[in-house]
Amino acid sequence: MRKLLQLVFGDPRNVGSVALALILAYGVSRLAPGLSGGVLVILLIGAAAGQAF
Amino acid sequence: MTAAQWGGAGATFLASAVEWVEAFTIVLAVALTIGWRRAAVAAGAALGLIALLIAVTGTVLAAAQSDISRIRAAIGIFLLLFGLRWYVKAIRRYAGRTALHDEAKEFTDTRGHLEHAEARAAWAIAFKGVLLEGLEVWLLVVALGHTLSYGAAAGSAVAALGAVIGGGLALRTPLTRVPENTLKFVVACAILSFGSFWGLGGIVGEQKAWPLGDVTLLLLFAAYALAGRAVARLARAPGSSQALQARA
Repeated sequence: MRKLLQLVFGDPRNVGSVALALILAYGVSRLAPGLSGGVLVILLIGAAAGQAF
Repeated sequence: MTAAQWGGAGATFLASAVEWVEAFTIVLAVALTIGWRRAAVAAGAALGLIALLIAVTGTVLAAAQSDISRIRAAIGIFLLLFGLRWYVKAIRRYAGRTALHDEAKEFTDTRGHLEHAEARAAWAIAFKGVLLEGLEVWLLVVALGHTLSYGAAAGSAVAALGAVIGGGLALRTPLTRVPENTLKFVVACAILSFGSFWGLGGIVGEQKAWPLGDVTLLLLFAAYALAGRAVARLARAPGSSQALQARA
């Protein structure tokens, strides 16, 4: 079961990165909807960079 | 089929091929120990279970009368979780910070392990190996298939399985020449693109988040691919020969 959960969600850092990126992009969408997509992409790439080093 | 559906089917095919190559390596090692017939039965049992899972999940999702934007948001978030994991792994392998997946080593290790195992244990190793790799295929077929085309996604996974079995049986050696990390990186970029598009689109509205529509998927793919290679270059471990291998 633990293996399956890890297969689907990854480790806590992975879950945290995606959750934070989506929450911040949602926040931006309330002020400037057109920018929210770009913000999400930048945050996800930043999260990947943080985990890659 | 639309361009997005072709993209989804292509991503499913490539991702499935990567997983099937890993499964084939294990089955090959087991087959050379306990014989092809028993190894094939073990692999077939695991594949049957995966096929059943795909069929049941597809039926349940089709019957669920839920708002499509909610389903897309849920699937998008799942794809982001799955895609980011593959993306980071591929970048780290490009950068030489994580060892490249070596099918020849996997094959040797499995054979070494099997030398002391009984036939029943060897059968279980083949079954478990195919099941674990197949579960990832199941997740992708369900996620991409439900939103794009279930038949196309399942067909892509089966086609990838056929290609790997055909290639593997022809060579009768581990498929070491498959550029696994490049495939994983491309698939990760595609999955992240679909995940971003549906995840955020489902939450705030597709028109608001992505005013350019479906063409955004191509732009997202390009952004993730270019940024991923740039991050891999920056993260490259000093003097890493793996990084050079991955570039080849």
